[in-house]
Amino acid sequence: MKFSTREDLPCTETAPRHRPFSSGRILAIASNTLTELIRLRVFYALLVFALLLIGSSIFMAQLSFQQEFQILKDVALGAMSIFTSVLAIVATARLIPQDLEDRTVYTILARPVPRLEYVVGKIVGVLALLGISILVMSVAFVLVMYGREQAVVRVTLRQMAGAPPDQVADALRAIRASAFNVNLFPGILIVYLKACLLAALTLFVSTFASTNIFTIVVMAFVYFISHLEATAREYWLQEHGSGLVTRIFLALVALLFPDLQEFNLVDDIVAGTAVSLGLFLKTAALGVFYITIYTLLAAWVFYGKEL
Amino acid sequence: MTDPAVTVRDLTKVFPVPWRRQSVVAVSNLNLRIEPGEVYGLLGPNGSGKSTTLKIILGLVSPTRGCTQIFGEDSRRVQSRQAVGFLPENPYFQKFLTGEETLRFAGRLCGLGGAQLNKRIDELLELVGLNKARKRRLGTYSKGMLQRIGLAQALINHPRLVVLDEPTAGVDPAGSREIRDLIVDLKRRGITVLLSSHLLAQAQEICDRVGILAEGALVREGHLQELIAIENQTELVIADASADLLREIESVINRSSAKLVERRKSTTTLERLFLEATQNGATRLRGEQNDTPPQ
Amino acid sequence: MTRIAGALAILIAFGAIKLPIEHSLDAQRRREHFAGVQFNLDLREKIGQLGFVAALSGFRAIVADALFIQAFTAWERTEWGRILLLFRHITTLQPRVLLFWDTAAWQMAWNASVAAMNDLRQPRLALRVRAQREYFALGRDFLERGIRNNPDRPELYEALARLYKEKYRDHARAAEYYAKAAALPGAASFDRRFAAYELSYCEGREREAYQQLRQLYDEGPQQRLPTLIARLKFLEKRLGIPPRQRIPEERTAPGQQTP
Repeated sequence: MKFSTREDLPCTETAPRHRPFSSGRILAIASNTLTELIRLRVFYALLVFALLLIGSSIFMAQLSFQQEFQILKDVALGAMSIFTSVLAIVATARLIPQDLEDRTVYTILARPVPRLEYVVGKIVGVLALLGISILVMSVAFVLVMYGREQAVVRVTLRQMAGAPPDQVADALRAIRASAFNVNLFPGILIVYLKACLLAALTLFVSTFASTNIFTIVVMAFVYFISHLEATAREYWLQEHGSGLVTRIFLALVALLFPDLQEFNLVDDIVAGTAVSLGLFLKTAALGVFYITIYTLLAAWVFYGKEL
Repeated sequence: MTDPAVTVRDLTKVFPVPWRRQSVVAVSNLNLRIEPGEVYGLLGPNGSGKSTTLKIILGLVSPTRGCTQIFGEDSRRVQSRQAVGFLPENPYFQKFLTGEETLRFAGRLCGLGGAQLNKRIDELLELVGLNKARKRRLGTYSKGMLQRIGLAQALINHPRLVVLDEPTAGVDPAGSREIRDLIVDLKRRGITVLLSSHLLAQAQEICDRVGILAEGALVREGHLQELIAIENQTELVIADASADLLREIESVINRSSAKLVERRKSTTTLERLFLEATQNGATRLRGEQNDTPPQ
Repeated sequence: MTRIAGALAILIAFGAIKLPIEHSLDAQRRREHFAGVQFNLDLREKIGQLGFVAALSGFRAIVADALFIQAFTAWERTEWGRILLLFRHITTLQPRVLLFWDTAAWQMAWNASVAAMNDLRQPRLALRVRAQREYFALGRDFLERGIRNNPDRPELYEALARLYKEKYRDHARAAEYYAKAAALPGAASFDRRFAAYELSYCEGREREAYQQLRQLYDEGPQQRLPTLIARLKFLEKRLGIPPRQRIPEERTAPGQQTP
């Protein structure tokens, strides 16, 4: 460092004016979070695994094209669902505790950064990571599906050379119907939304968890209980014969946990069931609502945390 | 009348200990006032409450009682930190970022952006001598490099107050000297410096005023020269004095009511000796290399 | 700690708001044929703990696929009982996948029934026929349940019609189900023709069949396939249709020259 003369030092200009809310700060933290997560080796390992799973599903059924396409869709969307759910929990669980443990949170919050923006920036970074992952996997899935569909179409046309045109049209229609379906896109979006919900919930848990592992273990429980929330809810709303303790327990499950079954539409979408616009929008709105509430609660708890 | 750079009023911080009845009193009824443009040293042993006090001033921890202000603004408010730069102890930076990315991140958090931020990053990397390492991740930086990037990020937003927590800890003597020179230059530019250290000799060289904490309380505070001066003793440093002159001075003292406490040779510091030796050694080596005939 | 307790209290309050929304959304999902599985002990016993957990977690499709692959292995070993069991689990998990219902019915009504009929370990023909009929019934049951779960899809109606035609030789039922398939959107172009063909084999319904076949014939060359023309001619003779109302002799098949 050369500090030998005054001229070596930059001029003492004034600091920029503080803005109470700044999307620039949120984006800086989000971009920083995204960089941190992308540079994690576990991210690449998981992504490669998911892509291999999608690609390998073409070898899983050799009997008929319907079976092959069905399994390809099931495995691809299942891989997307598993990968994004795991990534959402594992990546988010480490964000705030890691910053606290490494004390890098001091260098961030010693700046004019409100804690709300810090928390929002973190979750936006994770959502961006999940979005990129889903996009990469969707592209891989569409490419594999398209390639297989075209291969089956070629074989079918060869085999049906000379057949009446309407039969050929029926055969091609059957191939296309069992291959890619535009209804899969809303299903993929719902998978993404579910992962975002899990990320926001993980962030909330991590604000009061003592360690990274604790957060992941708690979220594993929350994940499974949330898939049973619908059962608990319906039982609580309808059942009148059970004891007080049971009813209190069911009520707590129904009130505290999100209903993750609402976001499990993809199992039926791959079966060919179309999602109506109304159902999709309501599900999406519910998801956004959950994400917002959990993020705000995370910010609120973090606001009172001693660093 | 301008606001003081830092005001600490009746500050108390108590940390409750879960499952135990007795809490930990980290800071107790602390009062401080740091004027703009001065270098203030907050000194004390480990566990004296220095770091807690700095964190409360920076709004990272809330006080149990009392308040702190930065240039008249309550330090619990986010905008109070707009003109503050902070270099933490054992720099807490994200190891996955490069030097340039670290400064860019810090600048964006302060509201800088675009060409202005790029220019500032270039200036600061040049200043701290990390231009060649700007694309390397912080995980590969040495301790001294981390300290330098820490200083750079603390200065990114043209702060009026710079808070340095153990700025020379773990840094070699040359780097330590450079950091101290920087602090002196910051002061010359009117920037207030609040530093915390337990390297007393270094603090003695640069601080205008110091506060000494012990067990959470301020036990001594004031201008450095006043604090360390021994009231009834005077030092004379004489060069090229003959033995006769020294004997005559001693006899004058003995005839008066004063008492000669100590007579010894003046000493340099180990740091100056180290710097002279290493710089002279480097110069001699360069001269020998220049003299070496080409092969 | 206060903030955490406060956050939980807010979550409970928020839960009171979201509860009716989720309840209504759940009802809408069921109306639109989503969430066709009841998670209960019965399911857990059927598919085991791991399968239950996977299915519960939103991976019903993958669990069903895994069982489907197991069913094919069982088929290679001609383990008909295991195939039946597996397909019951598969169709429980994924009731909206037509492929599973169709394959289940095929395995029972076509493969297992033939194996039962050719089972050399059973010397008595009557018992072999009985076993064969039982497998037919199992196949029919799969298709009927599949239709109950997917009432708007023509494929299973077509499969059931085929089963009645080929296995039960019940042309009336076959005609009925081909007609039902033809009435649904996305039906194959041949469903109407096949319905008419099957009807043409039903005693006492020749007139009805003739009208349907004639209507198809009049639609144009794309319907004038050899089978249709042959059945039409048969019914014209059977019903004594006046010559001037009959289809021309020279138009025996599309593309052929008029003699």
